[in-house]
Amino acid sequence: MNAYAASALIGAEQAAFICGGVGMSMATCRPGALPNIARATGCKVSSDRRVVTLILAATPGAAALDDVRRTATIAVVFTQPSTHRTLQLKGTDARIVPLEPGDHDLVERYVRAFAADVAAFGFSEAYMRALLAASPDDLVAVEFTIAAAFVQTPGPRAGEALAANA
Amino acid sequence: MKIRLESFRDCLDGGVPGNIATVSPDGIPNIAYLSQVQYVDSEHVALSYQFFNTTRRNILASPYAKAAVIDPRTAAHYRLSLQYLRTESQGPVFESMKAKLAGIASHTGMSGVFRLLGSDIYRVLDIERVPGQTLPAPPARQNLLAALRACAEAMHGHADLEALLTGVLGCLEHQFEIRHAMVLMLDAAAGRLYTVASRGYAASGAGAEIALGDGVIGVAAREGTPIRIGHFAAEYSYGRAIRESLESSGEAGRMATEIPLPGLAQVRSQLAVPIRAGGRTLGVLYMESPHDQRFGYDDEDALVALAGQLGMAIQLMPQGDGDEALVPSAPPQHARGPNVVVRHYAQNDSIFLDDDYLIKGVAGSIFCALVRDYLERGRVSFSNKELRLDRRIRLPDLSDNLEARLILLGRRLEERGACVRIEKTGRGRIELRVDRPLELVDIE
Repeated sequence: MNAYAASALIGAEQAAFICGGVGMSMATCRPGALPNIARATGCKVSSDRRVVTLILAATPGAAALDDVRRTATIAVVFTQPSTHRTLQLKGTDARIVPLEPGDHDLVERYVRAFAADVAAFGFSEAYMRALLAASPDDLVAVEFTIAAAFVQTPGPRAGEALAANA
Repeated sequence: MKIRLESFRDCLDGGVPGNIATVSPDGIPNIAYLSQVQYVDSEHVALSYQFFNTTRRNILASPYAKAAVIDPRTAAHYRLSLQYLRTESQGPVFESMKAKLAGIASHTGMSGVFRLLGSDIYRVLDIERVPGQTLPAPPARQNLLAALRACAEAMHGHADLEALLTGVLGCLEHQFEIRHAMVLMLDAAAGRLYTVASRGYAASGAGAEIALGDGVIGVAAREGTPIRIGHFAAEYSYGRAIRESLESSGEAGRMATEIPLPGLAQVRSQLAVPIRAGGRTLGVLYMESPHDQRFGYDDEDALVALAGQLGMAIQLMPQGDGDEALVPSAPPQHARGPNVVVRHYAQNDSIFLDDDYLIKGVAGSIFCALVRDYLERGRVSFSNKELRLDRRIRLPDLSDNLEARLILLGRRLEERGACVRIEKTGRGRIELRVDRPLELVDIE
């Protein structure tokens, strides 16, 4: 993986996709231990689409955050339940960063958007709020440069790596 | 306290797809969605292997993985530490996952994309309950243990197999609120199952056959394992067979020797449980519902236990060999009107009454023997014991359930409004009631 691709690996449409009402989970690892998983509750993409910031609850994500501190490697999967569209991003420079103004509102918007997408499957907003619940002071952010991106929508293109976008 | 897999296995039945995280040999994590996690036993789960992807490459290099699953009712969140052991591409776990995946694929618009290549068996090393908010669990629909106990107790004291099966199907409705069910017995030599009893359908379907391996019933019988599907799955549904059979009815269909399997046109949940005794599959108890996800793991457990009891009860049921005192056969008194031609095709023992198909196979050969003795010797009274030893009746083996064949023959005659009926006249004895003069024609 090359953390310094010549241009962004995701396009504007893909950036909008991962910032929308989609499920987002991250995986981390460290030598000699099992990987860890944590669910994120919001995502931002930098204007040049090279850097992604995930917001997540620190308590349930403690082990994954610990891995980030040690190895800085990360994989994040985004999926839209209603379409199965799935994208995985990877990074090798992940770091924990402070929240920015507006991040709490971003989390609230995210919960509403994701709840709207899964409503058709019979999941109530109350259910989605429980699933994604995090106390505001428990939220942290993890930022990384997109080093690789893969289509993971089930089907013939699954696993295909995205090339750099001009 | 150690968390047991059983305490949250409903999470595995889908609703919220889980995730699996793995690591490549060079230390890069990977995360993917799981379309299916199957509970195998208290220490093992199986994940569906559908594509050769990074997850698979990683676990083949290093067998450790972590999975996250979420309760679709309470939003409780669990993480499982896993160790990959092996991949199974046949057998009970594979077949039950394959059937379930067909339902999941169809429900999620992924038919033709999801295809099970194997069941990856993982040891569960640790279970972690992730801190977070949950909703209260909805109350259980019913107490399955109480229902099971009531059904098991009601199984005692039935005089014969017909009463036992009728009783069990009644219990399923009253205790388990399962309104559509049938019992099929296995003819192992022919590799087919035949319907003996049903409840909750417009037509009983007595005599309807399913090939071993065909649909949920056939797979459950072949593998000796329960098969459970929570959504409509075309490739496991019998709806199509029923439709096709209805379409072919009419003039051309009158000669058809297929009895349609009863079944819901809009089936959403299916559960087929093998009826076993002494390590042998005797038949299948099949249940279905027009609702999605009607049967969960706990229902499956209760109904497997019930089917085990039923298997024992069938095995212990006296084969109806009652007193052998020969009752003098009274000559037929009330057979009048025009002759009815009983045609017997020796090739498959199929029987037609005039132009109406009645039955084929073993039940057909029984009917032929009864009619022949009636016509040639004026007999109307028969014992199960003599029928079982009768060389004209091709019972596949001694252990075959003659009584089950007599039940379905009796039902078919009744449902067709036939001019011949068989009636029980005592333990292990039947009598032929003939309303019209018969003429037997054998066709090679």
